[in-house]
Amino acid sequence: MRLNKIILSFVSALVILFSTSVASFAKVVGDKIILGAAISLTGKYSSNGVHTQNGYNMAVDRINNMGGVKVGGKTYKFDIIYYDDESNPKRAAQLAERLISQDGVEFMLGPYSSGLTKAIAPVTEKYGVPMVEANGASRSLFTKGYKYLFAVLAPANLYLDVAIDLAVEKNNGKGVTVAMAFEQDAFSQDVRLGVLDAIKRTGSKKVIDDKLPKELNDMAATLVKVKQMKPDVLVVSGHTKGALTAIRQISEMKVDVPMLAMTHCDAAKLSKQHGKNSQYALCASQWHKTLTYKDDFFKDGMTYDADFTKEFGYAPPYQAAESSAALLVFKDAFERANSFDQKKVRDALAATNMQTFYGNIKFAPGGQNVDKPMVLFQVMCDDAGKCENKVVAPTKWASAKLIHPIPSWSKR
Amino acid sequence: MKNTSILYIGILIFGIAAPFVFPAFKVQLSILCVLIVLATTWNIQGGEMGYNSFGNILFYGLGMYLCASVQVGMFFPLAEWTESGGEKTFVHTPAQFFQGMAVGLIVAAIVPTIVAGLIGYSILGLRGHYFAICTLGLGVAAGEISGGIEIIGAGQGFTTPPFPDVGSLDSRGEFFYFLSFFTLVLTFIAVRSIYSTRFKLILNAIRDNEDKAEAMGIETMKYKIIGWMISAFFCGLAGGIMGGLVGYIDSTDVAFDGREMGVFMVLMAILGGKGTLWGPIIGATVFHIFKEGFWTFFLGWQYVALGVLIVVIVIYFPEGIMGWLREKYPERFGEVVDEKDRKAQVELK
Repeated sequence: MRLNKIILSFVSALVILFSTSVASFAKVVGDKIILGAAISLTGKYSSNGVHTQNGYNMAVDRINNMGGVKVGGKTYKFDIIYYDDESNPKRAAQLAERLISQDGVEFMLGPYSSGLTKAIAPVTEKYGVPMVEANGASRSLFTKGYKYLFAVLAPANLYLDVAIDLAVEKNNGKGVTVAMAFEQDAFSQDVRLGVLDAIKRTGSKKVIDDKLPKELNDMAATLVKVKQMKPDVLVVSGHTKGALTAIRQISEMKVDVPMLAMTHCDAAKLSKQHGKNSQYALCASQWHKTLTYKDDFFKDGMTYDADFTKEFGYAPPYQAAESSAALLVFKDAFERANSFDQKKVRDALAATNMQTFYGNIKFAPGGQNVDKPMVLFQVMCDDAGKCENKVVAPTKWASAKLIHPIPSWSKR
Repeated sequence: MKNTSILYIGILIFGIAAPFVFPAFKVQLSILCVLIVLATTWNIQGGEMGYNSFGNILFYGLGMYLCASVQVGMFFPLAEWTESGGEKTFVHTPAQFFQGMAVGLIVAAIVPTIVAGLIGYSILGLRGHYFAICTLGLGVAAGEISGGIEIIGAGQGFTTPPFPDVGSLDSRGEFFYFLSFFTLVLTFIAVRSIYSTRFKLILNAIRDNEDKAEAMGIETMKYKIIGWMISAFFCGLAGGIMGGLVGYIDSTDVAFDGREMGVFMVLMAILGGKGTLWGPIIGATVFHIFKEGFWTFFLGWQYVALGVLIVVIVIYFPEGIMGWLREKYPERFGEVVDEKDRKAQVELK
């Protein structure tokens, strides 16, 4: 059989190909500390993936320009190897493996979204690679006993329970009726669990509990129900697409609801894209530029906001801010460990206790940041139609008073 | 025949040595094995039988969820494992992990086979586009349904048991590589042996003219179902392995990933040449290497590059690599070409 010859030569070509592609090993090369990151540059999380990448890049430039990282009397600069995980957990896990075993990366930055972080964490854990992540908030990440995972953000279940508390407070402490619509993904489902806890705690009642598909571009069915049931609060979470879809359809269908609470409003640039239609929406956020935290690199939130806008042409959503903070945490840990030994850096990370422009950072044994509360802001527009996000809760940071209930569409 | 055995032994040695020669590529090589299994089994329907199935992803995803569920459920309460707010941490001992995996893989192979039999009985009566669309729906539906079942993690996803601490860091990669390589060998032997029987001829008869085959007294339905069950068996196994390898199961992105895996398996078989034994294997290998290359060198444009590749395949190699080779070097495929006769025909044109 001559056919076998073809296959034989094909196999040998394969062998040659594999053997020539020698893995390049890079971890700390020369004066560079090379970090690895799988980021969603394409796929359903691509817009937030870009926010994450911009946040990382901004911090890398800033730290490098301001003297870099000093370890063992030498100055090092940060560099990041990026791959595109296509918003796909399977791909993300493969890329983590590739970054570590082929590119020789010894320190990782997190991807965007809880699902992808969930896929990467087992890999980094296996190799003992410390990972500081800024965009995986699902609680289940912190109950698996991971030792090398550190999240600079507050867990997802804390995102919107404040909104329920607020609604109850406005209802004179009596329970409210809550309609919920959540995307079927790790993050949004965890936000849902947080809301469920809050409902139970406050004696409220859930009247709608819908799951939305991942490629979220229609939630009309839920909104029809909301129109019928007239709940006190409508809670929606589904990343950027969820926020955009909700505002678009609520305004199209003129759905009246006293309180609308969401996530990802700033990442979706709601106030810019939908203007007055997005008015009064309450949004959970990890960070807001008006918060008064400070650090040496970005000064404070307002400065970060201005610098980021200058560099990337849009106002930084919290996804960018928390990503920048991850680099600050790494720098701090490297300098305290005074070593590139992964175990020592890991221990230094675990002992982190610092303030950044983004907030205080201190890790619980599970890896989540326990020193930074969530904030709620409300989209508020002036008569000229210019909209802004103003913090309304918690009271310590509030720069505006909550407008409640939302005026009905007929009166707007 | 001597040549063939040298080839097989060569590939076997390459397969066994690969993880040690290219230690950094273990995961890619494991995935390659899984891809080959998927393409080869898809070829039973799409290539030999002429039924373009987009539903094989159903068995792959089913196997993935089943294997992980069994592996956890044998030793710990599954509901608590997948519950996101849970405070407990469960850790498998090495013995539990491997026992769970073994039983899990058996279940992951058998249940999809039964499911294939049941579904096949009801939908294999459809033909052509109707069958393709129906199976496409199966995969999508399975993804959405599994995304709503709390006990397997629903939208939260399912973290499969972490590999236990045995020996060196490389042991996990080696374990999954050999598991997938063994599955590949098993699949190859099974497919090769059924291709040398009357069974393959029946499948081909169904492809070429199903009505005529039926008129000749062949119980086409029976053979179609058996063919699908064979595919399901190996797809389930492949899914179970892939679940452990990825470490995290998401309903639509990892398990019932019709958009990627479901399409890739078709693409790979077509690229290599459907309806041949070696086509899907070559197709999967070429595809995987191209894909990994694109993902490295055309970051951000990888899908564009992949799209161009697909267009090139469709235009220049409609019969796949094997089909192209066969046309170019027919004598190497054991076809006797009468040079004089061929020239005469060319001149006639």
